[in-house]
Amino acid sequence: MIVESFALGRRALTKWVRNPFAVIVTSLQALFWLALFGDSFNPTNAFGGGTNGSLGPLQTAFGGAPTYITFLAPGVIGLVALTGMSFMGVDLVFDRINGYLDVLRAFPIPRTSIYFGGVIQNVAKGMVAAPITFVIALVIPNGLELGHGFGVVDLLGVFAIVALLTAVFATFFTGVAISVKSTDSFFAAINFLTFPIMFTSSAFFPLSFFPGWLKPVAQANPITLASDAMRLLIVNSNLSAPQIQALVGDVAGLAIFGAVFSVLGVLMARNALRAR
Amino acid sequence: MSNIIEVNGLTKTFGNSLRVVDGISFSVGEGEIFSLLGPNGAGKTTTIRMLTTLASITEGTAMVAGHDVMKEPNAVREIIGVVPQEVTLDNELKGIENLLLAGKLQHVPNSVAKSRALELLRLVELDGFADKKVGTYSGGMKRRLQLVAALVHQPRILFLDEPTVGLDIQTRTRIWDYITRLNDEQGVTIFMTTHYLEEADRLSDVVSIMDRGTIKVEGTPTELKDSLHGDVLTITVADGGDDLTGFLQSIPHVAEVTRTDDSYRLKLPKVESVLPEIITTVASKGLKITETSFSKPTLDQVFLEITGRSMRDAEEANNHYDSHASVHARETR
Repeated sequence: MIVESFALGRRALTKWVRNPFAVIVTSLQALFWLALFGDSFNPTNAFGGGTNGSLGPLQTAFGGAPTYITFLAPGVIGLVALTGMSFMGVDLVFDRINGYLDVLRAFPIPRTSIYFGGVIQNVAKGMVAAPITFVIALVIPNGLELGHGFGVVDLLGVFAIVALLTAVFATFFTGVAISVKSTDSFFAAINFLTFPIMFTSSAFFPLSFFPGWLKPVAQANPITLASDAMRLLIVNSNLSAPQIQALVGDVAGLAIFGAVFSVLGVLMARNALRAR
Repeated sequence: MSNIIEVNGLTKTFGNSLRVVDGISFSVGEGEIFSLLGPNGAGKTTTIRMLTTLASITEGTAMVAGHDVMKEPNAVREIIGVVPQEVTLDNELKGIENLLLAGKLQHVPNSVAKSRALELLRLVELDGFADKKVGTYSGGMKRRLQLVAALVHQPRILFLDEPTVGLDIQTRTRIWDYITRLNDEQGVTIFMTTHYLEEADRLSDVVSIMDRGTIKVEGTPTELKDSLHGDVLTITVADGGDDLTGFLQSIPHVAEVTRTDDSYRLKLPKVESVLPEIITTVASKGLKITETSFSKPTLDQVFLEITGRSMRDAEEANNHYDSHASVHARETR
């Protein structure tokens, strides 16, 4: 199954390398998120803050982030993973419409390799978008401020979390893509799912801003788990024991989501690809 | 010759009432070119989808190279190549990349797949375009590439669903040539569906005529045409006021006569040998033949004889039925 999954993943990546427009546009989306929402959602506009665009007294509420962009950047990385993974599954929908999935079904390969081929290529594309978002956040005015002592290990930790979050969304949305029969259904499903995921996360505001009834949902949101974990690594030079516990909890939560969505995706793929 | 495909009582229904394939049985000998000939909507594509493991079987059994299609689908997929009706290549990949991907998914070692791919590209005269993206190919080139994409793993059986539909006559002839060569030189058994009479006639060892989900008749093209008992001669007689049916019927070797206005359609064993005698006999009665035409039997006439309508009429009649079945097939894909 692994060989076939990588062969199919490679097929999509070859196409992407020849025509990287979609991934580049998705990555550049981060610029708009950071520039527009970094300014318009900035809480210092309403509540005041410190000097030079810092959060000042609001810093504690925002997890210790010195600027709003520092808080927002991990959230935007999560949002880019969400939007990227949701729309990149469209290749599978077109494969179904064009009859290519039928051709694949006539090969002696496990049905799940078609699903995992989609996941692999989407994760690979998503991992290109993350560093671009990170760099954009660093270079924009009043942008991302890395904590003292932020090093290579922290950077790798951030990208490992991005990879995990990307895999969570890739496993989920590839399952959706392989199950729907038309582009209309696909885009309707994507629109239905992405906005609630986006706005019930701590991408824009900390969990303390959410009403009590929504807080448990927001807390379990994969974007919240990933962005909170990234913030811990970006903002703090040394993690305290409770922070390490929180980080491990967030990563474990993402891993559980990934595992559950993989199982669901496999079941959806088997059902969608069986002979009828 | 041993049978490589054996089908018994194969049935496919969609929903509760739409019986697209209705209890068909046939067998295909190893090394044969077998054609399922019929109008659109006859159930040919559904049959090929069942045999290639893409559609489930409602009733009956299908064995491919000794493997039950439903119980051992992967064993079947290992030894077959499938060329669907629509072009399903990846336009963004190069010609050779499409073949190498097919090889990888058929578990062919890379080095073998590469040499095999180059050999196949030469066969269909696309070796000069191996490194071009398929999106830049013409429709005919894509069809030729699609044909060989199913051959990288050297399948024992090649399933072709309407291999030349929508192609110009030149490209069609070239594809016929490749199919014949694959069969002759490499011994690949070919199972194909077609609604082109000439295609079935020219390529097939055995033709099964299918209509409305059932097989009406099966045999070699020659056997099927011979079953009509000969050629058809049509003569038009000037001022033929009297009915000459009885008179023409009495001429030796004339098997059957039907009249339409002043024209008579005569069935004969071999028109060339009887025509002079007919002209002489008619002239001796003081009548003048103003027009003569004759035709050798065609598979369309076989179809007409068996179903009571021509292939074209059947296609028109089946259009509604076909679109209904297609909707069901799409919904259940």
